[in-house]
Amino acid sequence: MTTSTAPTRRPPADRQTSLATILMRYLAPQRGWASVMAFLLLAATGLQLLVPQLLRRFIDGALGTAPGEELTRIALTFLVVALLTQVMNAVATYVAAAVGWTATNLLREDLAAHTLGLDMAFHNARTSGEMIERIDGDVTSLTNFLSVFSVRVFGGALLLIGILVALWLENRLMGAVLTCFVILEWVALSRTRRAGVPATQLEREANAKLFGFIEERLQGLDDLRGNGAGAYTMHRFGDVMRRVYHDTRKAWMLRSIVWLSSYALFVVGMAVTVGSSIYLVGRGTLTVGTAYMVFQYLLMLQNPIEQITQQLQELQKAGAGVQRIGELMGMRSALPRDGTTRLPKGPLSVEFDDVSFHYPDVGPDQLTLDGVSFRLAPGTRVGLLGRTGSGKTTLTRLLFRLYDPTGGSVLLSGTDAKDADLDGLRARVGLVSQEVQLFRGTLRHNLSFFDDSVSDERILAVLSELGMTDWLERQDDGLDTLIDSGGRNLSAGEAQLIAFARVFLADPGLIVLDEPSSRLDPATERRLEAAMERLLAGRTAIVIAHRLETVERVDEILVMDRGRLVEHGRRDRLAQDPDSRYARLRKAALSLDLALAGREGLAPHEAHDEALEELA
Amino acid sequence: MTFSTNPLKLVMALGRQRRAYFIGTAFLWATIHATPIIFGLAMRGIFDALSGSAGAGANAWSFLAMGLGLDVLRIGLFVGGIYTWATWWLEMTLHVRSSLLRYLVEASGSRRLPDSPSEAVTRFRDDVNDIGEYYEYWCDFWGFAAFALAAFATMLAINPLMTLLASVPLALTIFLTRLLRPHIRNARRLSREATSRVTDFLGETFGSVQAVKASGREPFVLRHFATLNAARKRRALTDTLLTELFRSVTDNMVNIATGIILLLGAAALKDGSFTVGDFALFVTYLPRLTQSLSFMGLMVVQHKRTGVAFERLGRLLVDAPVEALVTPRAYDLEHPQPPFVESLPNVETFQRLDVVGLTAHHPGGGRGVEGVTFSVRRGEFVVVTGRVGSGKTTLLRALLGLLPRDAGTVAWNGATVTDPASFFVPPRTAYTPQVPRLFSDSLRENVVMGAAVTDAEVREALEQAVLGPDLANMQAGLDTEVGTRGVRLSGGQVQRAAAARMLLRKAELLVFDDISSALDVETERRLWDGLFTAGETTCLVVSHRRAALERADHVIVLDEGRVVAQGALADVLDAAPELAALLSGEREETRGASAHAGGVPAL
Repeated sequence: MTTSTAPTRRPPADRQTSLATILMRYLAPQRGWASVMAFLLLAATGLQLLVPQLLRRFIDGALGTAPGEELTRIALTFLVVALLTQVMNAVATYVAAAVGWTATNLLREDLAAHTLGLDMAFHNARTSGEMIERIDGDVTSLTNFLSVFSVRVFGGALLLIGILVALWLENRLMGAVLTCFVILEWVALSRTRRAGVPATQLEREANAKLFGFIEERLQGLDDLRGNGAGAYTMHRFGDVMRRVYHDTRKAWMLRSIVWLSSYALFVVGMAVTVGSSIYLVGRGTLTVGTAYMVFQYLLMLQNPIEQITQQLQELQKAGAGVQRIGELMGMRSALPRDGTTRLPKGPLSVEFDDVSFHYPDVGPDQLTLDGVSFRLAPGTRVGLLGRTGSGKTTLTRLLFRLYDPTGGSVLLSGTDAKDADLDGLRARVGLVSQEVQLFRGTLRHNLSFFDDSVSDERILAVLSELGMTDWLERQDDGLDTLIDSGGRNLSAGEAQLIAFARVFLADPGLIVLDEPSSRLDPATERRLEAAMERLLAGRTAIVIAHRLETVERVDEILVMDRGRLVEHGRRDRLAQDPDSRYARLRKAALSLDLALAGREGLAPHEAHDEALEELA
Repeated sequence: MTFSTNPLKLVMALGRQRRAYFIGTAFLWATIHATPIIFGLAMRGIFDALSGSAGAGANAWSFLAMGLGLDVLRIGLFVGGIYTWATWWLEMTLHVRSSLLRYLVEASGSRRLPDSPSEAVTRFRDDVNDIGEYYEYWCDFWGFAAFALAAFATMLAINPLMTLLASVPLALTIFLTRLLRPHIRNARRLSREATSRVTDFLGETFGSVQAVKASGREPFVLRHFATLNAARKRRALTDTLLTELFRSVTDNMVNIATGIILLLGAAALKDGSFTVGDFALFVTYLPRLTQSLSFMGLMVVQHKRTGVAFERLGRLLVDAPVEALVTPRAYDLEHPQPPFVESLPNVETFQRLDVVGLTAHHPGGGRGVEGVTFSVRRGEFVVVTGRVGSGKTTLLRALLGLLPRDAGTVAWNGATVTDPASFFVPPRTAYTPQVPRLFSDSLRENVVMGAAVTDAEVREALEQAVLGPDLANMQAGLDTEVGTRGVRLSGGQVQRAAAARMLLRKAELLVFDDISSALDVETERRLWDGLFTAGETTCLVVSHRRAALERADHVIVLDEGRVVAQGALADVLDAAPELAALLSGEREETRGASAHAGGVPAL
């Protein structure tokens, strides 16, 4: 496949997904390679069947009257056939793997695109670990199936049938004996294999727990050592060790049943085959060469039976995976993507027209937003205040159309959010949240959000605009500096600055800024404030403020309380109106500060609680 | 390093761990691997008897019975061999892992990992497995060696020329194995890495799905995903290619050897110097002989790998000899262990802590502290402050022995502390790191960590750490599972849980690293209030928050790793422009009749 088509490709609409339809859809483009593989397997199987026949002719010829040149020719044919078989099998395996990976990579990408397009209600109900399992785990069982199953099962089945046919043609008794043996071994192996599965599961869990335990303790080494918990940790480790010890040993023993029974059956097969050979040779109805050939065929039977029974288990796994893939593909987003209007350039105006909203998992009696109406002119900077749970964050989520309002409408520069082109809308609305999301990868990728069309010059210009040039120079590899997963190698302040730069690069017309809390020291905070000023200049901005200091610099104030907009006005006017909530809040904060400065007297938090109660 | 060249000595030492099982395993597997020598003889007997050759000696049935009897015996040996091997393998690998972990959490001196914890875990997993596999080779070695020698001798006795010529391609497999195996392992590792990049990226994308969606960058994220997928496919196919190449080469060497026997055997069979039975014996022995020979080749590779594995584990140990890992220790893994009983040292009452000229640096980085001198007296509240990167955390960690110090002394009640890491533990000190960690366990286990306390005391500590209201919202209460596999706690909740963990230890000196970073001002204030009403407490705290600074009896201002001022807050404000700058934002706001920064958190 070509990667350049990935961004625009959408999964096909049909959702009746079975193994067959998946195979059809994703393998069809590769039918050329698939037929190459089938041809190679057929040819290799034919050659493999020939080898014991050659050995028989050789032995019977040597014991009989065949001339020496005849034997030499057989020996040379044997060499050529054996080498060719190996090469063909190897090539077939490689081709199968290539076909399998190409097909399932397409499927992975379609699944990722599809799930990423699903609404937040879907994502909130699932952890990222679950999503890894659904997109990669289930598909990987299909990859194994496609790349291994085809060769092992298809090739194995061909060989199995070929051997049995050859034996029936040679001697009916031998054919009958080995057919019975194959059926017996098939049944026995399919049964015993099942015994090993739960034990293996148990072993995996115990081991995952062991290494999970170690990793967590290594991460928390300071917590443990600083609190003298070494002996206690080792005691806990003792418990984990015991579980691994018992579960693993049990799993090994149970799993050994599978191949021990396969071995035992082979011994039975050998007794029967060699026994009947001895009997038939003694009666003169079988040549020694044929007896040897039958023995060789018995050896050859072992492998396909083991492979096929093992792969049939994989088939079950792949089947279950395909079913889950089908379920996932069948899910539809609650947010239709049919808007096409493009938002204008420059700062956006924002209008909430009697907006009500409740989350999908609760009823309409639990409104998170209740009849919210307001209008912001382009370029306005507004501070959004309210207690935790008052609906501030929800309000901003509607701006990105992470959800649609359940009543009323949200308009951006006069366009209903539902009518706007979704990707275009989200590109025009920027978000800086408290938690900065960083990906494992280069600094460049983290800034451009994987958009390779963003030039280094633009990135550097933005960094310089935000006063980050010095910082960049201190990084080891400039824009190629690697960021750890989750930005573990960055300080909170650096992560915030990267988030600013990222939004700056996107050049949105509306910015929602969930103000960074006081995780930072004041010096770093001031740097961030300067960067923030540049970021917000010339754009409409909604700032969820946690400190009144930030709000001092906004044009307007919105105060939310229990889903309702309880106050909206110009900041300077509200500040002068002693009855406004904003003014009361400022007063409370001031008295709190004075109380702190006095060090004694009224317990500060009491004053604070009082102020909050009043606000509510 | 000597151990890297001879893992054998270390392995011998480790072999003393549950030695009976080790020897039993080696004996059983030697028998299992050597017995097929008889299969060849049985095959020869059967086919010689069938073809009426003179050398058969007995009839075909008795040879068949001999072969089958041996198979039945081997099945019994397998059952025993797997049991003893599983037991010994587990005992030994767990012993190494346990010794390593014990060393990291318990031994004296400071411990730091040379790389990330997840990288260290791969050492715990893969390197220890490498050592285990080396033993597997030694257990199998004797049987394979006996088989190879006996088979070779038998074949030589039958037909020396044929044996020697057939051995040439077999010997080649040894070289090819040694040549290809490292490449295959490497390809497999690269393939695994490419896979983890794909899954990590999926995890990151869906872990921050709201941010991805809100940015409207799904197409670019998906394109990056496709790039990673393509890389993974390439790696996986290289792996397949090499594995298949290896398999065909080894299988084909057997085929070539068989072909040589057929070519040479044609004439010999005619003149009767080589029988059909001999041919059957040769063909039975050849694959096993190849297996034995490539086993020897792999064993040499594994010998080297084990040396590297020990070396890598040695780097985790930093200052201890790697022998620490192989010293035998008695476990009773068969039975549950007795419950844990905490044992605390008896210590004299804390009077004062004196730090003189403390100098320490972060490994690899230039950041550190230089010549820091200060004292903490009983009942004092001492605050270390300074901008990000000024060395506050380094100072605390070096003081507690979590980082090695380059110079300076630390004295407790006037007596110099030589091994701070073992000394600064409860009941002397307790510590909350800047980014505390909770483990995947119940909230109770996480807070108690083996201390002999009642649930009431746990609740009291949680209350004191202002986690009480949060606890009330947890349905399972103290049994709530937290950590990566449990309920996801916010950063502030983790900090308060860690504070509760510390408070529960009833230590003389409490050391907090920046407890405020994830707490709002109000919560932090309650925490300090709770702490001071609870009784006489001595605290050493890193903070830049006013709430802490104004409570301080003594403030230490760090800049670029040096103390630029210390004393009462009022004194250092004048002496240290650095602190004035730190607080200026707050100050100006206060004077300007507007609300100060850091207040009004719950808005």
